[in-house]
Amino acid sequence: MRVETIRAAGGRPAHIRHDDLISAKGVSVVMARQLVLQNIDLSVPKGSFVSLIGPSGCGKSTLLKVLAGLVDPTSGSVSIAGLSPVEAARKRMIGLVFQDANLLPWKNAVDNASMLLGIADRSLSRADLKARGQEMLELVGLGDSAHKRPNELSGGMRQRVAIARALALDPAVLLMDEPFGALDAITRDQMGQSLLEIWQRTGKTIVLVTHSIDEAIHLSRHVHVLGIKPGRITESLDIGLPYPRDLSVTEDPEFVRLVVQLRTMLRASHQPGGAS
Amino acid sequence: MSDQPITNRSESRLASSWSAATSSWLPAVILLLATIVVWEAAVRIFAISAFIIPAPTEIAKSLVAQWGTLMQATLVTAGEILFGFLVSVVVGIAIALVIVRFDWLGRALYPLVVLFQNVPKVALAPIFILWFGYGLAPKIGLILVIAFFPVTLSMLAGMQSVDRSLLSLMNSVGASPTQILFRIRVPHSLPNLMAGTKIAATLSVIGAIVGEFAGASDGLGYVIQFASTQLDTALVFAALLLVSVLGIAFYYAAEILERIVVPWAPKFSQA
Repeated sequence: MRVETIRAAGGRPAHIRHDDLISAKGVSVVMARQLVLQNIDLSVPKGSFVSLIGPSGCGKSTLLKVLAGLVDPTSGSVSIAGLSPVEAARKRMIGLVFQDANLLPWKNAVDNASMLLGIADRSLSRADLKARGQEMLELVGLGDSAHKRPNELSGGMRQRVAIARALALDPAVLLMDEPFGALDAITRDQMGQSLLEIWQRTGKTIVLVTHSIDEAIHLSRHVHVLGIKPGRITESLDIGLPYPRDLSVTEDPEFVRLVVQLRTMLRASHQPGGAS
Repeated sequence: MSDQPITNRSESRLASSWSAATSSWLPAVILLLATIVVWEAAVRIFAISAFIIPAPTEIAKSLVAQWGTLMQATLVTAGEILFGFLVSVVVGIAIALVIVRFDWLGRALYPLVVLFQNVPKVALAPIFILWFGYGLAPKIGLILVIAFFPVTLSMLAGMQSVDRSLLSLMNSVGASPTQILFRIRVPHSLPNLMAGTKIAATLSVIGAIVGEFAGASDGLGYVIQFASTQLDTALVFAALLLVSVLGIAFYYAAEILERIVVPWAPKFSQA
């Protein structure tokens, strides 16, 4: 019965085209005389879940930093809802999550969750910040751990606080750089599933950098494969599996087929490509 | 009935932690007592004259006989140490903040601070006496030049070891350098700063004694010098004992301060 549902959904158009929230055109980045990214064209539809996957050194983290306004492209342009990434970040449109949760060890979970918001918006009172932090902790499933310090939280819980901290800004887009990379396999699966639920509840646009083929297919609507030397988008894959997805999707024949397809693409992306 | 085993377990845990504490202290205490006994015996057996090495009992006698003078001197030295230590910590923190906050000033100041660190500061004691006289000021000055450096250096290390991606997060929401300094760098540096503060506490004791050696009319350093000119070696040792007690007291005071200021910092293992 499950298989039928999936097949029926698989027959739909791969994705419905929304307005692009993020669009990168001809982005190249040169760092230390090395071409890190070459001529990247990327569009991320509003409300979409997009993954960037590729071998180490393909520049996928750099691409995420370009989208976040933390690295200036050497050439090309990036627009987030018509703004430059730096302008978008100042308007609290960008939420960032890194592999390391980077919580402040001297603050408890709720104060960590509201920390960036407090800096971005100085007009908020302490009570406002606490309330917002608590609300976000509840969203990520940590409502009853508000007063715990980071050293009392597990790795997965710390990363949930980091996600809450990004969401507290109420950003239009969540940029995540291997957020679950340091977690064990089971926690990683659970975190992915939670992220999916948060995405569906909040309607945020998410761009996820990952190493994991399973994670990319389980979570995203579109996957872009990056190749090395120089970093460039070699392939793009639409994931037609219907939402809402849960972990049982990984046993779906279509999921297995996509894993094989994406693995083949990734293998090809390990071959250095000439400047074309 | 059901909570019986739990009570037993907690009692036995208490007992085992007590026995762990005694077993960790016991060897040191035994060695100390043994040393004192051997010292006493050696002085008596070989009839070593008291002005070369006084027996522990002689030192204890001197300690009791001169108790009033020694306590008064201890109070003076303790005051110098405390004042000098506080000034060192404040100046050390201020220099570290200036170096981190004002980039160009930091580039000018930091090499000079390191250069100054290589001046043998004990040799500055006579100059400070010349400039500031025989009172409190030259001792504070000497403690300052000896003790501020570990404070500055440890705080700098702490402030500069903030994770880059945390700084990226702060920058992405438009945090100002001052906000990053006081919200992130300074609290992040506190565990390092406290480690530097403990070193400064120890160095402050040295600074005070050196300052008193160079010129003073009071304090334990003065007692040591005066007693040695009188060949009252027992009194020298008695004063030395009190200096050591002061040193230990200041060190543990700094450690208690550390537990209050940075309860969230990773503690070193109790084992």
